[in-house]
Amino acid sequence: MGFNIIFNSTGIINFAQGEFCMFGGLFAFTFAVTLGLPLPIAILLAVAATALIGGLMERLMIYPLRNASVITAIIATVGASILFKSLGRLFWPKEAYKVPEFTAGNITIPGVTVSRQFIWVLGLTVVSVLLVYMFFNHTRAGKAMRACSINRQAASLVGINVSRMSLYSFVLAAALGGVAGLINAPYASYSIGLFLGIKGFTAAVVGGLGNTFGAVTGGLVLGLLEELIPGFLTVVLGVSTGYKDAVAAVLLIAVLLLRPQGLVGKGVVEKV
Amino acid sequence: MLEVNNLSAFYGSIEALRAIDLWARAGKITTIIGANGAGKTTLLRAISGLIPTRYGVIRYVGQDITNLEPYKIVKMGISHVPEGRQVFATMSVEENLELGAYLRTSRRRSREIRGDLDFVYDVFPVLGERKTQSAGTLSGGEQQMLAIGRALMSKPRLLLLDEPSMGLAPLVIKGIFTCLKRLHEEGLTILLVEQDAQIALSVSDYGYVMRAGKVRLEGEARELLQSEEIKRIYLGEEQPPEGGSDGV
Repeated sequence: MGFNIIFNSTGIINFAQGEFCMFGGLFAFTFAVTLGLPLPIAILLAVAATALIGGLMERLMIYPLRNASVITAIIATVGASILFKSLGRLFWPKEAYKVPEFTAGNITIPGVTVSRQFIWVLGLTVVSVLLVYMFFNHTRAGKAMRACSINRQAASLVGINVSRMSLYSFVLAAALGGVAGLINAPYASYSIGLFLGIKGFTAAVVGGLGNTFGAVTGGLVLGLLEELIPGFLTVVLGVSTGYKDAVAAVLLIAVLLLRPQGLVGKGVVEKV
Repeated sequence: MLEVNNLSAFYGSIEALRAIDLWARAGKITTIIGANGAGKTTLLRAISGLIPTRYGVIRYVGQDITNLEPYKIVKMGISHVPEGRQVFATMSVEENLELGAYLRTSRRRSREIRGDLDFVYDVFPVLGERKTQSAGTLSGGEQQMLAIGRALMSKPRLLLLDEPSMGLAPLVIKGIFTCLKRLHEEGLTILLVEQDAQIALSVSDYGYVMRAGKVRLEGEARELLQSEEIKRIYLGEEQPPEGGSDGV
C-alpha cells in the first residue's frame, strides 16, 4: 500500500519503502526496549519517527528533483534505500533485535491455533486499508492526492499544491511502512528492508500498481503462495523449504512478463 | 485586469514567445487567434504559472504574478481551462467540480459551494444529469463543459480558455460559446485562445493575432473580422500559407 500511495500521487516507485519498514521495527525496539516506554506509546513514536523520515526524504531528495524526470527520482529512491540501510546498520549494528509482541501467546479457535500477533496483523491490515480508503475517497487532501495522480497539471490548475501532496504521500507511505515493519517482524534488523521491500513491491505489482485493494489482494496471493509452494516442493519433490523467499521474486518476474497491469489492475503500463 | 509586458518564454532553447504585449480588460472578452504552433497555448500556460518565463512581466489587477506557482495564481482569481480539457477521467463529474472548488473547500463554506455547483448545473444542465458518471465516459463536448465548470468552481474573476472548440461539432461549439457569452454577461472577464477565428472574434470585444511567437496584429474584434488580411489567412477564404510551418 505504501508503494501505491507514493506511486499514485507522484508516479514514483519508492525503492526505499522496505527501509521504512526497517525503521518502524528498529524504532519500536529502541523506544520499547532500550528506553523502556510502554508499548503503545513506543509504537506511536516509532510510526511518527518513520513518518518524519519519509517527510525528510521527500523534502531533501525528491522535492529538489521535481523538475527532473520520474526515472531520476526513482533512482534517487534506490540511493535512499542504501543510505537508510547503512544508517540502520550504524545505529542498530546487531543482526536482530526482538520487538516485543503486542500481546504474547496464542488463541485457539476450534480447529486452529493462531498467535495473538497474527490477529493483530490481520486487524491492523484491515484497519489501515479502511483508513486509506476513507482518506482517498472522503477527505479533501485525499481527493487532491488522487487528482495529482490522475493529472498533475490539471491538479495544479484547480489550485492544488502538487509538491505539498508529494510530501504528504511520502509521510503517509512511511507511516504505513513503519506500521507494517513493527507488526510484521517480531525481529527487527537493518537488513530486512530489501526483503520486505521486494515482498511489498511484488504485492503491489501483482495487484496492479496504483490500486490499493489490488495491493492487499496481491499481498494475500503472495502470502498463500509462499506457504503453499515450498510445502508442495517438500512433499512432492522432497526439496527443502529454503526456497520460500524465492517465491516473491519468481512471482514478480512472472507477473511482469505475463500481465504487467497486475491481476486486478486495468491501468495503463508505461514502458520505460 | 491582466497586463502582459514584453514577455518571452522558451521551450528548451526554442523561443516560443517573443516579447509579447497584451491586455485583457476587465469585463471584456479578449481573444488570441492564430495557427497551430503560434504560441497561443504557451502564452496561457505562462500566465497561469505552468511554464517559467524568461523575460517580461505579467500583472494581474496591478500585482506582479510572473512565475508564481500555479496554485497561488488560482487563489488570486485566475482560472485556466487547459487545452484538451484535462478532466480527472476516473473521477465522477461532481468530484471533478468539487475539486474545482478545492481552495475554497471547508465545512463553513459547504453551502456556498453547493450553490456554485447548482450554478454550474444551471449553465450546463447536461452535467447535472451526469453528475455520478465518471468524467472519462463523457463526450468531447460534455468534457469541455465539465472543464469550464470545474474552472468556474474556483470563483475566478478572469477565465483563461484554451481552444474550447477543439475537436467538437459545429452545433456543440455554438452551444459552448452561447454559454461563454452568458458567463461574460454575468461579469466574468475572459481571455480566449482559438484557432476558429470566425467564432472567436464574433463573441469577443478585442483580438490579437499571433504568429511564430509574436503578436502580429491587434484591434477591436469587429474590425479584425473585417480586416482583409485576417479574412485571407484565418477565416478560411484562402488556405493559410503551409499551416504548421509558420509556427515554432
